[in-house]
Amino acid sequence: MPGLATRLLLALPVVAGVVALLALRPTAGAETAPTARTIYLGDCAVCHGADGAGTQRGPGLLASGKAGVDFYLSTGRMPLQTPTQAVERHAPRYGPETIRALIDYIATLPGFHGPDIPVVDTAQADVARGGTLYRLNCAACHAWSGRGGALLHREAPPLDRATATQIVEAIIVGPGNMPSFGPAAINTPGQADVAAYTHQITRNPDDRGGFALWHLGPLPEGAVALFAGMLLLLVLARAIGTRA
Amino acid sequence: MKRSERFAAACFLVCAAASVGLLIVYVQHSDPQWEGILLGLALAAFGAAFVVIAHGLLPPGPAVNYREPFGADRAEAGGVEESFERIDVVSRRRFLVAAAGTALVALAGVVVFPLRSLGPRPGNSLAHTPWRRGLRVVNESGLVVRADEVALGSLVTVFPEGFVGSADGQAVLMRVEPNMLRLPDGRNAVAPKGLVAFSKVCTHAGCPVGLYEAQRHELLCPCHQSAFEVLIGAEPRSGPAARALPQLPLEIASDGTLVALGDFTGPVGPAYWNMPQ
Repeated sequence: MPGLATRLLLALPVVAGVVALLALRPTAGAETAPTARTIYLGDCAVCHGADGAGTQRGPGLLASGKAGVDFYLSTGRMPLQTPTQAVERHAPRYGPETIRALIDYIATLPGFHGPDIPVVDTAQADVARGGTLYRLNCAACHAWSGRGGALLHREAPPLDRATATQIVEAIIVGPGNMPSFGPAAINTPGQADVAAYTHQITRNPDDRGGFALWHLGPLPEGAVALFAGMLLLLVLARAIGTRA
Repeated sequence: MKRSERFAAACFLVCAAASVGLLIVYVQHSDPQWEGILLGLALAAFGAAFVVIAHGLLPPGPAVNYREPFGADRAEAGGVEESFERIDVVSRRRFLVAAAGTALVALAGVVVFPLRSLGPRPGNSLAHTPWRRGLRVVNESGLVVRADEVALGSLVTVFPEGFVGSADGQAVLMRVEPNMLRLPDGRNAVAPKGLVAFSKVCTHAGCPVGLYEAQRHELLCPCHQSAFEVLIGAEPRSGPAARALPQLPLEIASDGTLVALGDFTGPVGPAYWNMPQ
């Protein structure tokens, strides 16, 4: 009958093996569900730097705020496949939970600051006031219909797929070449008003006359009216002229 | 009188009546839609009269005029001559001709009278806007704009206090990095902390220059794609505009609000014949 000490000694490798297995398991799990830090270092840090301060390939993130990070990730503009790819709206690469985890991780980077993710309630919004603000601040680039338009070097994107939160994030952050619109231009209730108005013109447009002509605007509408009118005049002229 | 003749004369009279109505509406400065309706009615009636005349009063064609055989006898020739001089051929149309004349005179009045709309002379008013020294900067709701409300890279459309909605007083206010500003004529001093304001009225055709590419610091005009470089004083970089957007001199008051130091640095909007250089 071996002593207690001997038995313990014999048990040690077994215990060590079990501990090692238990220790390995979470590592194996982490490979299938990587942490936000791993995603950041893998997908974002190449351009924005491990510290978020930016590199030669991309700008820093530290001043963009949670609102800016959420805008770029939830609209699928980031991450890019290559640093030279155009920053455009895509289906988001990550799910909502991953996006939230990434935002929380980036927010812990030293020196991170900027606007928080806005809480937008369009149910109480004043759509008419939103229209006034939209025409003054937004319509020049995004067009009266919210379908976007050409700028000098690129184009302003259409707004039809933007959520209310994304619209307000764009207003307060000013992503890319877009200027931001601070409290002097659009105050907090005004932000929800603009979001509500944008949803109305892009999702429930009031197209008088039945045919919207793809919301191209007054020029094509005038052209169509001109050609239709010309045909009518032509028919009329023929009717008058068949005297002889 | 033939039925179509009466109808044509009535059309001419309708034209004259509509023209006179148009003149009255024009003088009284009432609804321009009525001016359009009456002008349309006058021209339509004028045209309808001629259509009716062509269909009902002129001989139906096609008309073939065979050459007269030589040697017609004198009696026959006299008869033809006499038929031309018969008085009723002319008098039958006298009323119609008078109606057409009335319509023409009334239409001529419509054409001549709006010359009045060319006046009065604008004088010096095009060279000035409501901006004066000491006027505070407000936004489109009339709320005073504070310097700390305008963040770097942001844009606000502003008006002079008390003149919200002013067409020539509207300006775009932006904040840029102060050390990037290269404004001409020492105008960096009137762009405190990088807050720089320019007239929103394009110097080409007067459209609102509301498109701002914040990273490139360029203002764009949506009508004809004129681009203005903000950092060097909104000088035109491309497009048809030839003059820089006039700058609004600003200072930050002790309470943090933005105050104008005077009118724009030049006349706003498109060039005009006697524009001061």
